[in-house]
Amino acid sequence: MTTFLQQVFNGLTLGSIYGLVALGLTLVYGILHIPNFAHGALYMVGAFMSYFFMVDMGVHYWIAMAGSAVVVAVLGIICERLVFHQLRNSPPIHDKIAAIGILLFLEAMVHMFWGSEFRRMSSPFGGVMNLDGVYLREQGILIIASTVVLVVALNLFLRKTMVGATIIAMAQNREGAFLVGIDANRVAMMTFAISGGLAAIAATLYAPLNLVYPAMGHLVIMKAFVIIILGGMGSIPGAIVGGMIIGFAEAFGGYYISTAYKDVIAFSLLVVILSIRPQGLFAKGAH
Amino acid sequence: MLQLKNVDGHYGSFKALNNINMTVDTGGLVVLLGANGAGKSTLFNTISGLIKPTAGSVEFEDKILNGMRPSEVVNSGVVQCAEGRQLFPQMSVHDNLMLGAYVHRRDKEGNRKRLNEVLELFPILEEKSHQPAGSLSGGQQQMVAIGRAMMSRPRLLMLDEPSLGLAPLVVKQMFQTIQQINSLGTTVLLAEQNAFAALKIATYAYVMENGQLVMDGDSKAMLGNEEVRKAYIGA
Repeated sequence: MTTFLQQVFNGLTLGSIYGLVALGLTLVYGILHIPNFAHGALYMVGAFMSYFFMVDMGVHYWIAMAGSAVVVAVLGIICERLVFHQLRNSPPIHDKIAAIGILLFLEAMVHMFWGSEFRRMSSPFGGVMNLDGVYLREQGILIIASTVVLVVALNLFLRKTMVGATIIAMAQNREGAFLVGIDANRVAMMTFAISGGLAAIAATLYAPLNLVYPAMGHLVIMKAFVIIILGGMGSIPGAIVGGMIIGFAEAFGGYYISTAYKDVIAFSLLVVILSIRPQGLFAKGAH
Repeated sequence: MLQLKNVDGHYGSFKALNNINMTVDTGGLVVLLGANGAGKSTLFNTISGLIKPTAGSVEFEDKILNGMRPSEVVNSGVVQCAEGRQLFPQMSVHDNLMLGAYVHRRDKEGNRKRLNEVLELFPILEEKSHQPAGSLSGGQQQMVAIGRAMMSRPRLLMLDEPSLGLAPLVVKQMFQTIQQINSLGTTVLLAEQNAFAALKIATYAYVMENGQLVMDGDSKAMLGNEEVRKAYIGA
C-alpha cells in the first residue's frame, strides 16, 4: 500500500507538470490552430531564466519564477508578432516549419549564453516529509498545489472575465468573434503570453527535481503533444486529464515494470487510447 | 450614411465584386436581393472588414472603412449579423449577448440598459438566458444573433439572410422585428432571397447578380417590376 501511495504521489507530481505544459500548448492550438513545436523551447528558456535570476542575480525562488514567467510570456508575444502573425494567411505547414525554426533558434541562443552543460537549480523546498512510509518531497507538494491554483485561476479568468470570454469566443467561432469586434491580435498575443507564462512556471517548478540543460524541452514537448492528442486537441480539461494519465502511467509503469520503459509506456498508451477513441478523450475544442 | 464607390473584390484571381456603387441613407431599410452566390455575403464581409476590397472605397459617416480591422469597423457603428448566425455555441445566451457589447465593455450601465432593450425585443431570450446558444432552435438562435448585433449599438445593422432555414411563421415574426428595429432608429441593410417579404418592409432595394448590382430603386416600385417578380418572387 505504501508503495502504491508513493507512486500515486509521484504520478500526481509528474502529471501536474505535464498538464501545465500541455495546457499552454492546447490553448495555442485550440484558439489559434498553431501546433507550437517551440513550446518545449519556451519551457527550457523558462528554466534557464529562473536559473539566471536565482543563481546569477541571487533573487528568491518565487521572484525568479515570476520574473521567468514574465520574460517567457513576452517571448511568446514576440514569437506571435514576429513569426506566427506574419504567417496567418499562409498554408498551415508554414506555421509548423516556423515553430521548429523558433525551437532551434532558442536552443542555439541558450547554448551561446549558458553552454551545453547540465546545471542544478535548488529551491527552498528541498525537504522530504515522511507520511507513514510515503516520502513526500516538498517540491512535489508545491508542484501539485501550484498546478491546482493555476488551473483554478485560469478557469476563473476564462469564465468570469470579459477578456477571458474573448479567448473562449475566439476558440468557439473565429468569425463570430470578429463580428462582435474582438481584436484577433490582442487575443493571439494574450494566448501566447499565457502559454509562455505557464511553460516557464512549469519549468521552474520541475527544474529543482531535474536538471537544467538546453535539450530539456525535447521529451517534454513530445509528451505534451501526446497529452493534447490524448485529451482532445484544444481541450483544457483534456490537457489536465491527459497529463495525469501520462504522469500516472510513467510513475506506475516505471516502478512495476521498469524505469527504462517509462517513456515507451506513455507513447504506447497514446496508441491504445487513440485506437479506441481517435478523437481523444475530450473531443470538442477549447471549453 | 454608407457609401460604396466603385468597389471591387477578389477571391484569388476570381472577381467576386465588380464595380459596386451603393448608398444607404440614415434611417433607411435597404434590401439587397440576389440568388445564392450573387456576392451578397462577400459585399457584407467587405463592408465589415473581413475581406479587403481590391479597388474603390467604403465610406461610413465620412470615415473610410477600407483597411480598417473588423473590430474597428464594429467600433465605427457598422455591425453585421452574418449568415449562419456565427454564435458561440457552447456559451450561454446571456454570454453571447454580452460579448456583443464587447466594444462598449467599459460602459456597464449602458450595456445593462441595452440588454433590457434587446430582451424586450426578444422576450424568449430571457427565459433561455442560461442555456447554451447552440442548444436553441434555429429561430431562437437567429434572435440571439440579431440581439448580439444590437448589443454592439449599431448605427448601421447589416443582416445577412436572417430568414434562412426558418419556418414560415418564424420568418414573418423575424421581418416584423427587423421593421421594429428600423423604426426605433437603426439603419438596416438586409440581404435576402425572400424577396417578397423583404421588399414589403424595405424603403429601397438593390438587385445583385454575379458580383454586380444590376438594378436599384424604390422597393415598392420593385415589387411591381415584372423582371424582379419573375426572377425573385416567382410570380
